[in-house]
Amino acid sequence: MALFQHKQSKPQTPAEMALDEVHGLFDDTFREELRNHGREYFDRVIAENATLFKQDLDATIEHVNTELKQHMARQLDQQLIEINQATADLRQHVTQQLDDQLAEYSKSLKEAQDLALQALDRSAKALEEQHKQLAASLQQSVASQDAMLVKAFDDNKTQMAEIEKSQAQALEWLERSEKALREQYEKLGDELQQSVTEQKNMLVGSFESNMAAVVEHYLLQALGDQFDMKAQLPSIIKELEANKQAIVDDMTV
Amino acid sequence: MTETPAKTATDFTLPPNVVSKVDLARMVNDFERVDGELTDASIRAGGATVPLPPLSEQLEQFLTLNKLEVTDERTRTELIKQLRSLKDVVPIIHMTFAVPADRESLQELAQWLRSSVHPHAVIGVGLQPALVAGVYVRTPNHVHDLSIRGKLESSRSVLVQELEALRGTK
Repeated sequence: MALFQHKQSKPQTPAEMALDEVHGLFDDTFREELRNHGREYFDRVIAENATLFKQDLDATIEHVNTELKQHMARQLDQQLIEINQATADLRQHVTQQLDDQLAEYSKSLKEAQDLALQALDRSAKALEEQHKQLAASLQQSVASQDAMLVKAFDDNKTQMAEIEKSQAQALEWLERSEKALREQYEKLGDELQQSVTEQKNMLVGSFESNMAAVVEHYLLQALGDQFDMKAQLPSIIKELEANKQAIVDDMTV
Repeated sequence: MTETPAKTATDFTLPPNVVSKVDLARMVNDFERVDGELTDASIRAGGATVPLPPLSEQLEQFLTLNKLEVTDERTRTELIKQLRSLKDVVPIIHMTFAVPADRESLQELAQWLRSSVHPHAVIGVGLQPALVAGVYVRTPNHVHDLSIRGKLESSRSVLVQELEALRGTK
């Protein structure tokens, strides 16, 4: 554009010339001053508005807090009133129920007491009757026992007399037996003495016989296996010769 | 072939080594065996004379002692018959000893019996150690206790008398 900056252009109209002058008046510096001025103004307006807005906001928040507190207080009061009302209703209802139950229990208890009293009365009457019957039977039993004891005493008395009589007889028999035993004892002593003497003689005789057997057994044991056949042969033949005739006679029969 | 004179059972003499009836039976059996072998050999040899087979000691002594010839079959048959008869009739004398009897002693006793009691007597041997010594002889109808035990028993009265006498002196 600089190349064509000094180029001859066609003549401008006044409007165009005014416009060019306006453009020359409102150059960049002016524009920048305007812009700065606008910026300061805008900042100031914004700061004032912010201050005002802050004041309004604080007032609004305070107002809202106050309103909220009042509203919450009213709500709580309302709830407390309702709760109190419900509690009163509930208390009244429970009281009514308890009264009813107590009345019913009292009625039942009274009925049970009446029944128990009736049963106790009946038991007392039955016991009284039993007591009377037992007393009567006991009296009767005592009377019969008394009669039995009297009878037993009489019987025992008789038996005692008989026992005393038997004891006297037994004592007499014992005396006789003692005398007889003494005589038997003396007789047995004599017989025993005689028997001892006989046994002694018999044992001595038996000992002699057994002694012979013992000696014989000893000889048999001592002489056993002492002779072999060849050693015995001469004596055997000698014995056979001595008994020859008897053997021959037996063989020829 | 020599003709052997006919002998009866009682004519035979028993050898000393034939002591018991078992010995006699064994000898008869041996003789029957010899007879069978000789007969078989004679048949195989066509009737010719055949040698004698081995004989037991008892049979050999018996044949020698009785002078018997056994080459002839009929003689052998007759001999066997007589020996069987003899085996059935020999008298048995039972002898019980206190110790086992050896063969020689038994032969000596058999000899004594045959010379003194009966020519064909045989011994039945028994053993009883309680006899101590001696012999217990049983013949057909009697017993003869010739042992020491028998003598002690028979002498017991003597011992008792001695003890009684001893008591009398005390």
